[in-house]
Amino acid sequence: MSSSSAQGSSTTWREPTKDDKPPRDADLSASWAFLQVGVDHIMTRLQLGMSYSYYILLYTAIYDYCTGSRQTSSFGSGANRGGASLQGADLYRSLHNYLSSHCKGLRDEAEKLSDLELLKFYAKQWERYTTGANYVNKLFNYLNKHWVKREKDEGRKEVYTVYTLALVAWKQNFFRHFTTEKAGMSRLTSALLSQIKKQRDGEVVDSGLMKKVIDSYVSLGLDEADAQRQQLDVYKEYFQTPFLDATSQYYSDESAAFVASNSVSDYMKKAEMRLQEEEDRVNLYLHDNTRKDLKERCETVLITAHAESMWEEFQSLLDADKNDDLARMYNLLSRIPSGLEPLRKKFEEHVKRAGLAAVQKVLPAPGSVNEAGKAESLDPKAYVEALLEVNSKYSDVVNNPFRGEVGFNTALDQACRVFFNENAACPTPTRSPELLASYCDILLKKNNKDMDADSLEAALNRVMIIFKFIDDKDVFQKFYQRNLAKRLVNEASASEDSESSMIAKLKDVHGFDYTNKLTRMFTDVSLSRDLTERFKTKERNATHDTGGECYSPLSSIAEQWPVDFNAMILGTNFWPMNPPNTDYTVPREITGLHERFIKYHSDIHSGRKLTFLWHLCKGEIRTTYLSQKYIFMVNAYQLAILCLFNENDSMTYKEIQAGTQISDSTLKAQLALLVKTKVLLEEGETYDLNLSFKNKKIRVQLNMPVKSEQRVETAEVLQAVDEDRKFVYQATIVRLMKARKSMKHQALIQEVTANISTKFTPKVPEIKKAIDYLLDKEYLERVEGSIDTYNYMA
Amino acid sequence: MSTEKKDTVILQTSDEEQFTVEKKVAERSSLIKSMLEDLPTQEAIIPLPNVSSSVLSKVLEYCDHHKNDPLPPPDADADDSRRKTSDIGEWDAKFIQVDQEMLFEIILASNYLDIKPLLDVGCKTVANMIKGKTPEQIRTLFNITNDFTAEEEEQIRKENEWAEDR
Repeated sequence: MSSSSAQGSSTTWREPTKDDKPPRDADLSASWAFLQVGVDHIMTRLQLGMSYSYYILLYTAIYDYCTGSRQTSSFGSGANRGGASLQGADLYRSLHNYLSSHCKGLRDEAEKLSDLELLKFYAKQWERYTTGANYVNKLFNYLNKHWVKREKDEGRKEVYTVYTLALVAWKQNFFRHFTTEKAGMSRLTSALLSQIKKQRDGEVVDSGLMKKVIDSYVSLGLDEADAQRQQLDVYKEYFQTPFLDATSQYYSDESAAFVASNSVSDYMKKAEMRLQEEEDRVNLYLHDNTRKDLKERCETVLITAHAESMWEEFQSLLDADKNDDLARMYNLLSRIPSGLEPLRKKFEEHVKRAGLAAVQKVLPAPGSVNEAGKAESLDPKAYVEALLEVNSKYSDVVNNPFRGEVGFNTALDQACRVFFNENAACPTPTRSPELLASYCDILLKKNNKDMDADSLEAALNRVMIIFKFIDDKDVFQKFYQRNLAKRLVNEASASEDSESSMIAKLKDVHGFDYTNKLTRMFTDVSLSRDLTERFKTKERNATHDTGGECYSPLSSIAEQWPVDFNAMILGTNFWPMNPPNTDYTVPREITGLHERFIKYHSDIHSGRKLTFLWHLCKGEIRTTYLSQKYIFMVNAYQLAILCLFNENDSMTYKEIQAGTQISDSTLKAQLALLVKTKVLLEEGETYDLNLSFKNKKIRVQLNMPVKSEQRVETAEVLQAVDEDRKFVYQATIVRLMKARKSMKHQALIQEVTANISTKFTPKVPEIKKAIDYLLDKEYLERVEGSIDTYNYMA
Repeated sequence: MSTEKKDTVILQTSDEEQFTVEKKVAERSSLIKSMLEDLPTQEAIIPLPNVSSSVLSKVLEYCDHHKNDPLPPPDADADDSRRKTSDIGEWDAKFIQVDQEMLFEIILASNYLDIKPLLDVGCKTVANMIKGKTPEQIRTLFNITNDFTAEEEEQIRKENEWAEDR
């Protein structure tokens, strides 16, 4: 090892012996002369080793000097009131001088070197110097423990333990001299930076070497007050600041050049890679403290500076479903403040457009007709599935490339809310809930065979996705209720479990009140079942008592019970059912039963009025007049008509009407159905029983819906919704006014709007109408002398 | 045998007497401990020019007894509890029952060898000797001549008034 800095300059090392050791009471120059040889040996020739005895001699020389009694004679002498005297200041100064000149010696050699060579030299010297300093520090333990400690305890600055002293000497006499007034930046630092640039350019550099040098910057940050505490001032001033500036410059140049000749997608890959590289660089050889600043600098240059072009690219990535690139863009832009906001806006618009386009696609072509020759109507299933497909596609985008970030979720929700409610299929906001309710009906009906319980449940869950965004939830409720009523009355429900599961879902989302009626409908059905059972049991017992009395020629259908039947007793308030718009004579075959049931019911529930909804009743009758026995499935009107033919084979229209009391329009429609199915033969005004009726099936369905009813029904429902809304407006106003006693017009409108908007989208003219109505009815009054304030009137 | 060799060191006193001791025992001295850590292992003798054989044998007795104690933390000065009490362990109290000259020799040796606990035992013993005595008694005890003038003595008394008869 070359040692031009070695002061002894002896070619062969001869270890001093105890004969060389100065006496106990030697003065400074004699003591230091002996010690300097040892210190220099440790600092420059440590690899040659040291014997135990030499080590002890050096230690003893220090001990002797520090405990020497040049001022005080002996233990406990009164001359020095401060206690035992502590020698050491001179020794300390001598050591400092030695270390300083040692470090100065390194300067000349470093002068000739640059870049990698300089770094290698510096790292090697640093390692040797700090190792040596550690030894010397221990050797001078006695000085550290006594003189240095006392000086520090007394608050003297610039006295350090020996190791720290060595670092101070290094910093002042070697490290600082890399910075020349002209260049501004430390030569050592610029050597580091040029290595880092090489690494960024793709060359392999020695990270271990970098780390050694950079760590020395950290070690040289000395806290004068507390040696244990790390001070990063040197590291920051000499390295971090120039490093960060160089980084900004490098990446700003690089990214500008790269963007000019590459696509945004490629740039994003590059940027992502660069950010990761810098992150790794911190782990490899920088101080952790730099991590945050470095990240910020890189993000500014690599992302913020190019945010505009990324925002512009966003739309085409969405259009092409490039999820990987979207994820990359999200990752990059989420690092900078307000980088995502423009994306969220564009995303919302995009989803909205996609939703509207999807609906457009499922619309029947204008002018197309179905088999029956009517205008093709929109299939609720196709409609709902189109909405869901868009929703699910973009929830995937939100959850995957966009990591389920809240802002994108909100954007998706807002977009869905728009096109779920208004689109090409739904010119008015009431159409979408109607279609959704129809879709539910399709799902829940018995004839929905292609679904098992699980996939049905899944489909219902998807319905709820749409339901949440539907504005006019009251419209959905009305249609759903109507459909449910039909399913229950016609016993057309696929499964009771699915029905109640759906109601539970609605309740979860929209509350108990919303589903109250629906739940009551179920209760009615099951109560009715019980009631019917009990009635039947009673009837059976009565029949036994009277010894098998027969009421009807149709008795052969059931052995024990002449006419089997089920009754549903439906609470008027909960069921969307209107009484029939025609008179009806109960066929005499069932009058007895009819009357006994009415009596039975009023015995149990006195005071309740029963209204028979004949138009919803249906039955089965068995033919006895044909060679083949058929079962006709009929409605109550057909039943009444056909029962008349028990007496005659031929009847005129007048006779039939007299016998059934059914109004003209209904009777004609039903007779037409019977004629169409060839059960009856029409001859002018006369209807004959077709005695040669034939059909492939034994069970013949005669109860077909009369067309033209459906459109009317929708209008009816919407009217009912409007009626209900009037009450909601009024009730909300009254509730608010009762609580506040007095409100300004504008405030009232606002509060009402806020209150109602969970149920449907309120319209201001309707609110005004409701206010006028309440003024009329004297629930409210205008405050005198004020044009726009109302008082509540108790 | 070789393992035994490794685990012992030879100490040589000022009067050239040699002591072969377990490394563990010798390392009670922080001086020896850090030297052995820093220097490569050698079969050489460790000279202790500032300690006589009579004192070293006494010191080694202490070190041997305490060889399995946990070492004090490197920065033992922070450990205030050890300083505040003047209590001395039973064995240590018996051990330190020596004549005054030996007591001071032990204190000096433990300071030189950097054996903090032993230094404490020595100093606490001296402190206990002083406790409750007048300056005159202390002077007699340690054979000290009073070299204060009357004025100096008055001055000192004044400065230390706060400490009297707590």
